[in-house]
Amino acid sequence: MSAREAIVVASLIIAHLLLRIGFGLGNAAPDLMLLALLLASRSLSLGGGALLGFCLGLLEDAFSMLSFGASVFAFTLMGTLGAQVRHLFVGRSTFFQATYFFLAKWIRDLLAWVVSNPDSREFFVDHVLWESPLMALYAAATGVCVRYLFLKESVSQ
Amino acid sequence: MAGKAQRGHKRRRRDFHVVLGLVLLSLITINLPAESQRAIGDGLRESVLRPFIEVQLIVVRTRARARDYLTVRAQLDSALTFVASGTTLAEENRQLRGLLGLNERSPSRLVATSVIRSGTSGSSSVFRLSASAADGVMPFDAVVTELGLLGQVQEVGPEGSMGYDWSHPDFRASAMIVTAEGQAHGLVEAERGQFREQDRLVLRGTAYLSNLERGAEVLTSGRGGAFPRGIRIGWVGEVARTSAGWDISYYVEPAVYPGAATYASVHIGVPGDALQAAADTADSLAVADGSR
Repeated sequence: MSAREAIVVASLIIAHLLLRIGFGLGNAAPDLMLLALLLASRSLSLGGGALLGFCLGLLEDAFSMLSFGASVFAFTLMGTLGAQVRHLFVGRSTFFQATYFFLAKWIRDLLAWVVSNPDSREFFVDHVLWESPLMALYAAATGVCVRYLFLKESVSQ
Repeated sequence: MAGKAQRGHKRRRRDFHVVLGLVLLSLITINLPAESQRAIGDGLRESVLRPFIEVQLIVVRTRARARDYLTVRAQLDSALTFVASGTTLAEENRQLRGLLGLNERSPSRLVATSVIRSGTSGSSSVFRLSASAADGVMPFDAVVTELGLLGQVQEVGPEGSMGYDWSHPDFRASAMIVTAEGQAHGLVEAERGQFREQDRLVLRGTAYLSNLERGAEVLTSGRGGAFPRGIRIGWVGEVARTSAGWDISYYVEPAVYPGAATYASVHIGVPGDALQAAADTADSLAVADGSR
């Protein structure tokens, strides 16, 4: 991972915590933590991606009282998948990037929903089939913007 | 060449073991006892996440300071009027208690606190309070606003506490409604809406013939010791469902909308109050049971 990528990833994590916890924006802010994980894991080994995902998941779950661990599980798997995707696809087009971020966000929400406490989770159709795809679109648009604004060189390489 | 391939194979194997270990660890995290999960959450909130919580405190304070001066002035005037009229009532109450030979109510006090919400996933219904153990806050203390009951404290730490509002699936409050026939009692709990914004309160277990009027005030009864008596929960709404001649459930329009609360008070000194309330309501329960 280049120094530039590391700075962008760290900034995304800090921005996520600042927007969601500091300013209490909730879902009004895109899932920058996941974007950071996806960008970082493509430059990390399988184990490194999983470890980063595990740590970020713990931060995300620090305020969870009923489904502690759901984000840890989802982020760990997403970190692993992010690192593995590099070996399967080499696409750098805007379409590939957008699809990658979109699917990752959707799968992350689905994984977290599956392992969440049944008493606290939202209805499957509303959360996974309505809310989550919209949030995934938001994350994909943000991810593509971040990629082109801050990591343009690595995209064109 | 062969050595390079072997090293690559070794590294992939090590990576695979790390991934497997971390996935197992994440599954263990989900199934950890609640106390251990709380300890991990506390540790993270008091260390890595501390600066972000401080930022949120500053934002909340700034927003509160930017509130309309006239609104705050009007609230202060109302409070002063209430305090002035309360002095006479308190004296009358003291005299009547003396005549009836009733004990003094156990002392209770309110601790003002900021209500801070995290926007991270899985933290809906949960809030952080700036009041801590140093202020005398204890687990299960009631959290109230000027409008009524907001929720309950769950975890108390040295720098703050964590609680949940009435939309949490574990929230329960014993309730009473004063009617023309006496008092009706029931249990108020949250019912999940299709979306979180549609969550609402339901009053269950009221007597089938209690016939509560829409708009009647729902107050905490103090039974069970979870909440002090007399805090407003909301108002009776439409009938939710009936159970063939046994009981009837009503929707309750909440007095406090959780998302709107940025400042609240923690009600300290519940146990004594609750015992007193339990004794005071013993006769009124008989009235409610009689109408069943």
